[in-house]
Amino acid sequence: MTTPYHGLVKRVLDGELTLADLPPELRAEGEDALRLLGAVDRAPVTLSPQLDARVMAAVRRHAQSPLRRAWRAVAAPREIELRLRIRPWALWGGALAAAAAVALLLGRPTTPGATPSVVAGVAARDSVFVRFVLYAPGAKRVTVAGTFNQWDQNAAPLVPAGTSGVWTTTLALPIGQHQYAFVVDGRRWVADPAAPAVGDGFGRRNSVVAVTTGARIL
Amino acid sequence: MSGDGATDGDIVRAVLAGDVERYAVLVGRYRDRYARYAARMLGSRDAAEDAVQDALVRAFDRLVDCREPEKFAGWLFLILRNRCFAEQRRRQREGRLLEDGDGAIPGPERSDSAVEQGEQRQALGRALGQLTGEQRDVFVLKHVEGLAYDEIARRTGATVASLKMRMHRAYDRLRELMKEHV
Repeated sequence: MTTPYHGLVKRVLDGELTLADLPPELRAEGEDALRLLGAVDRAPVTLSPQLDARVMAAVRRHAQSPLRRAWRAVAAPREIELRLRIRPWALWGGALAAAAAVALLLGRPTTPGATPSVVAGVAARDSVFVRFVLYAPGAKRVTVAGTFNQWDQNAAPLVPAGTSGVWTTTLALPIGQHQYAFVVDGRRWVADPAAPAVGDGFGRRNSVVAVTTGARIL
Repeated sequence: MSGDGATDGDIVRAVLAGDVERYAVLVGRYRDRYARYAARMLGSRDAAEDAVQDALVRAFDRLVDCREPEKFAGWLFLILRNRCFAEQRRRQREGRLLEDGDGAIPGPERSDSAVEQGEQRQALGRALGQLTGEQRDVFVLKHVEGLAYDEIARRTGATVASLKMRMHRAYDRLRELMKEHV
């Protein structure tokens, strides 16, 4: 068994000290260690020119898969006008009807990972019910945090829709533009890939929902 | 916006919106950037090519999970790194450490005076193959890619203290493995 390098020699290898910083009795060990680093091969490695074509062929194949096309159909941004006559007893009914429609739409999740969706129905004169949906199989807890709840990660939990991996909640949001993100298991922030996104100034992206009286789905 | 001038984030968003062909721009940008890392991790250019190709395809498949599209490069690196670790675990299960016949990245022709250095290089390549995946990872990132500990920590999520511990163990192991060559 070879003796381990002295701690000071390891600092030479780390670039924190030079040979001249070593006491005389460690110089030989330091030179021996630096010879080891001298054998490191730093030559660049260039891959085959055909790699690009192989990757793109695989990408095109995967992009054409039925699963991916189905996911895109669910996640693609789209806009729907809802023409509603507002009656107090109809408010929750309308929201639930919209929720049921999306639940059917997402009833058979088509891709692993997040597949969020936002559905809106008119709630009151100055606010609109917005249904948040996230496909997060395996998640223990999902919440939605945004400008409408001061980014409180605990204020708006989603509930699982059976065992399908789909989580939902419906919130009454004031008319206007809101930024938000889902929080999975209290640590993983998930932006909505189906919604527009903006930078938050800290290198992350927030989803954006525009709530108007002509309720929209983004 | 043209492919060359677009940011990684622009391209990721375009691909997610259905413009699959724009992904070729990202492939062109990053196909060689991490090739040396993969080659030193896996011991051969062929294995590196397989790993890079696989990582690029996996990145496309999981693009929706790229929460910070502007940081696509770092995200792709983590996918490739995981792929390298997985390949090493697979080889360990099969009782192999490096690709057959290497240590062993083909390089330019060397003069006779460089033969000894070439042998040392090959010996070190083989020795790297006997480190743990984490030890080899930190050694390659620091001494092949030339990254500082804090940059490695930023890329990998490990602490500087744990990286130094892995590296110092790697030094001792390499000393043992290279005692006949250095």
